[in-house]
Amino acid sequence: MSTAVQSSSSRLWRLATGFAFAALSCAILLGGVSAWLLGSVAIAGLSAAAFTFNFHIPAALIRLFAIGRTAARYGERLTGHKAALADQVAHRVELFAAMAAAPAVRSAGWQLGDDARLADYLDDVEDIDYARLRAGLPALTLACGLSILIAGSAVLAPLSFLPIILLLLAILFAGNRVAKAGAVAWERARSLRREGAGRLGAAMASAVPLKAEGAWSRECAEALAALSRADGELLALRRLQARLDLIGAAFGPVAGISVMAAAWHAGRQGSELLLPMLLAFSWLALGEAMNGVSRILVAVLRHNAARTAIGQWMQAAAPGRRGSVQGGVQPRLLRHGALQRRAPDGRAIGTPISLLLAQDQPTVLVGASGSGKTSLLKQVAGWIGDDALAAGDRIVSASERRALCALVLHDAVILEDTVRANLFACDVPDAELWRALEAVEMGGRIRDAGGLDAWIRQDRFSLGEVQRINLARAWLSGRPLVLLDEPTEHLDDAQGERILERLLARLSDRIVVISSHHAPPHRDARTIGL
Amino acid sequence: MKQRSAPTQRPDPASSGAFQALAAAQRLAKTGLCGLLTLLTVRTALRLGFAATLAIAAGRLVMGEAVDPWLTAPVIVLLAAACLAGFAADRVQASAETAVSTGLRNLAGDRLNEMPARQLQSLSVGSVIVSMQRHPEAIAALVVGHRAATAMMAAGPLLAAIVLCFVSWQAALLVVGLTPVMILFFALVGNAIRRRADAQERAFGRLAGQFADRIRTLPTIVANHATLDEEAKLARRLDAYAGKTIGLLRIAFVNAGIIDFFASLSIALLAVFLGLGHLKLVTIPGFSNLELWQSLFILMIAPEYFSPFRRFSEQYHAKAEGLAAVTALDRMLDAEPAAARTLPVLDRLRLVLPGHGLVAVVGPSGSGKSTLLRRLAGIEPGGMPCAHGHADTEIAWISTDSYVPEGTLAQAIAWRAGAIDEDRLEDAARAIGLLDDALLPGGLEARLDKGGANLSGGQRLRIAVARAALAGRTVLADEPTAKLDRGTAEAVRRTLVTISRSRLVVVATHDRDLAAAAELTVDLTNSDAIEAAA
Repeated sequence: MSTAVQSSSSRLWRLATGFAFAALSCAILLGGVSAWLLGSVAIAGLSAAAFTFNFHIPAALIRLFAIGRTAARYGERLTGHKAALADQVAHRVELFAAMAAAPAVRSAGWQLGDDARLADYLDDVEDIDYARLRAGLPALTLACGLSILIAGSAVLAPLSFLPIILLLLAILFAGNRVAKAGAVAWERARSLRREGAGRLGAAMASAVPLKAEGAWSRECAEALAALSRADGELLALRRLQARLDLIGAAFGPVAGISVMAAAWHAGRQGSELLLPMLLAFSWLALGEAMNGVSRILVAVLRHNAARTAIGQWMQAAAPGRRGSVQGGVQPRLLRHGALQRRAPDGRAIGTPISLLLAQDQPTVLVGASGSGKTSLLKQVAGWIGDDALAAGDRIVSASERRALCALVLHDAVILEDTVRANLFACDVPDAELWRALEAVEMGGRIRDAGGLDAWIRQDRFSLGEVQRINLARAWLSGRPLVLLDEPTEHLDDAQGERILERLLARLSDRIVVISSHHAPPHRDARTIGL
Repeated sequence: MKQRSAPTQRPDPASSGAFQALAAAQRLAKTGLCGLLTLLTVRTALRLGFAATLAIAAGRLVMGEAVDPWLTAPVIVLLAAACLAGFAADRVQASAETAVSTGLRNLAGDRLNEMPARQLQSLSVGSVIVSMQRHPEAIAALVVGHRAATAMMAAGPLLAAIVLCFVSWQAALLVVGLTPVMILFFALVGNAIRRRADAQERAFGRLAGQFADRIRTLPTIVANHATLDEEAKLARRLDAYAGKTIGLLRIAFVNAGIIDFFASLSIALLAVFLGLGHLKLVTIPGFSNLELWQSLFILMIAPEYFSPFRRFSEQYHAKAEGLAAVTALDRMLDAEPAAARTLPVLDRLRLVLPGHGLVAVVGPSGSGKSTLLRRLAGIEPGGMPCAHGHADTEIAWISTDSYVPEGTLAQAIAWRAGAIDEDRLEDAARAIGLLDDALLPGGLEARLDKGGANLSGGQRLRIAVARAALAGRTVLADEPTAKLDRGTAEAVRRTLVTISRSRLVVVATHDRDLAAAAELTVDLTNSDAIEAAA
């Protein structure tokens, strides 16, 4: 977080806290002073004191508190949200950078590419973003209000101290239970949801085989049952909350009654009871703020669970993540005598292979589905493993290759942005961008969509169109090492061949590696069978 | 692989049996909602009673009048009862919402069961999961919590006003009189919010999902070395969007502010009027000559009058989310099945399939091979091309998207096959080359992730073949040798031929070798299907 953002956000938080205190104080005083005024005038009205009673100052104060409460609440809401949003922007940008550095991004199958997982992830991010607004701020103001009123009670009606403290202890006890048992229930609900979502996803992916074998309804029912069990865990959490809220709702009134009772027991009478009454009605007003106190705890436990979940993505992220190693090397040849192939999880695959990648002719990795073509491409790209390849007399490390290569993934996607942004070539003139689009036979489609500055989304394009935009990115890339993962997938044979031909002609001065599940499409290519 | 179902003409609900999530949820919520409303009303009545007794006790105490001990007991009892009623209401609401969401999810599950396989396949997996996981909960909050808050907005103030009438009908009139003014403000602000929100949606709707989109597309961004550019752009866009959001909130919070204002104002007005009345300096009808307890009582009831409005306004999000969930769930479950291509070949086809043997269905892509298999399995609408139906026979389906449960390889092969002894299991796995697969180390104990995430299509298919070899079912195989290397394809062919000695095996295939091994070939190339004995 930059210092400028940080200081403006902490200024906002200070302001929000100030408003929150003002709002709570006004609310408490509005109740207390109104009751005190009524008591005072009722006593004064019995005698001639009615004519000398200074009515205007308390009446003005009451109006002030009423307006002040409204205004301060509004200010609290607005500045609180402003502060939370400022934090949110900073937090999300930071999170994006950290996620980009996480190794999970480079391994097989990006889990957050899936709507359901993404929705869960976003919930977690939001739970973190708003924790301070939902828990920190109300907890702080409530604690301050409580301590002031408790101090007042201890002075005005010492005996009332006992029930108040007892009830407070009960709240802390119940709160502790909500925090502990609630965290367990929430964690269980989360894991049941993940399980149900995973099972439902697996069943959906195999819908036809399962329906044919008559096994669909059982699998689907079990997945939904897991989701409903998660609802059951949430129900358990809400029941815990209800117990805490029960004590919370009783707290204000009981404290108020205790103050009046203790003052009366201490022998105060008539006008001597006015101050205790002010305090008692203040307690009633504070009691209103205590309603739904369990929500604060739930916000905290959700925040903690979310932090753990998101922290897991960052695990093992390399510390020097900003190291853009765009060295001046332009290797013409990359070789490895005995490269041990590795699966994304680091497991060794098969026996070591000899690898020679050169500029003069493209290399084609041929293998059946599941033979590890994508993994080998990622290994060459430096995304998997930590192999060093030789480029003439120097060594090119995995992180150097990461900077050198354009990796064209077969499951690459469209960003919700302009066409231009999707081509990732911001400093390239328009004419060049159009040439790239024409080369992949997308010129007409993009013109129809509204040109280079048209806003596009993944779901407006077919898989073949996405693939072609993806190949246009390769066309525009200036990197010396270009790795194409199944470049003709989702294209019909003739079109795939045409586009690949043009692309290879364009990339003739680079090292190109192509993976393919059928025989080499290119006659003069070096083939590696996997 | 997102496939949005095209917006279809909503069919007449009565005739086609639309899902109608809202109506279903309302039915499910009925009993819970009744209980909840009863408890909430009881709670309000008890709180009013508590306020009355407390006001009497406090008023008499301050005025130096004797306070009967019997008066203090009801204060405590009514308070305890009100808190307990609130507690019960919380619990009932939670239970009712859970019951609705579970019930609704089961109804939606039934709907998925009725859906033809191909339509199911065309739905986006992610959106189905999101719908099943979240939408029932959101709809439950709409039909229980939000509904109750709406109803209490009528019942709560009404009760409070009635109770006020006992003490001073003029005071009741004052708060009731403030209500239309408040509602008028509500309407004005509500309109302003809607206009502003629409304008913002038009101008900045694109920026709303940018963070989510950049996380979704992260590998593509990393692969294209755009991390730093995208980070800077994201910061700019999130900042712009946050600024616009604050602009909207500035108006939206006026809504809550109005309720605060009227609640505060009513207290302030009443306190001043009542105070003047007590001083006996001015005579205001309904506010003069009251006992202290009466004015305290009025002061305590006034906020109760407004609190249901506040609760309702807090439910704004529940309403928006619930309605969005209703729309999404209905759209998903009521989507018209994607129009199947008409395949006259299949409609004319009359097959007589043997009790056992290998039958190959051949023909170019799109000629209806897979559709024929699905019809044979009875999971595709359309005529059964076979004299005696196969829908009621048990089927083993082989394809690259075969289901693989989480667990070990042994468990995946023995799935739904009952108890199978270790040796047969091992033989079946070895025959299909699953035990010496370098990419699946660990033999029968090899670990398979949920949904077979760590398996290739070829591996899944071979697991399905091994499973089919062990189970005594009729086998339908969709392209069982495509995308496999030569050795594995040969193993698959061998196993299918072995199975076909005792059972019927129907394969849809491009593979000449496999077709050549078949005893019967169904060629869908021409409209007059040719049957040829091999």
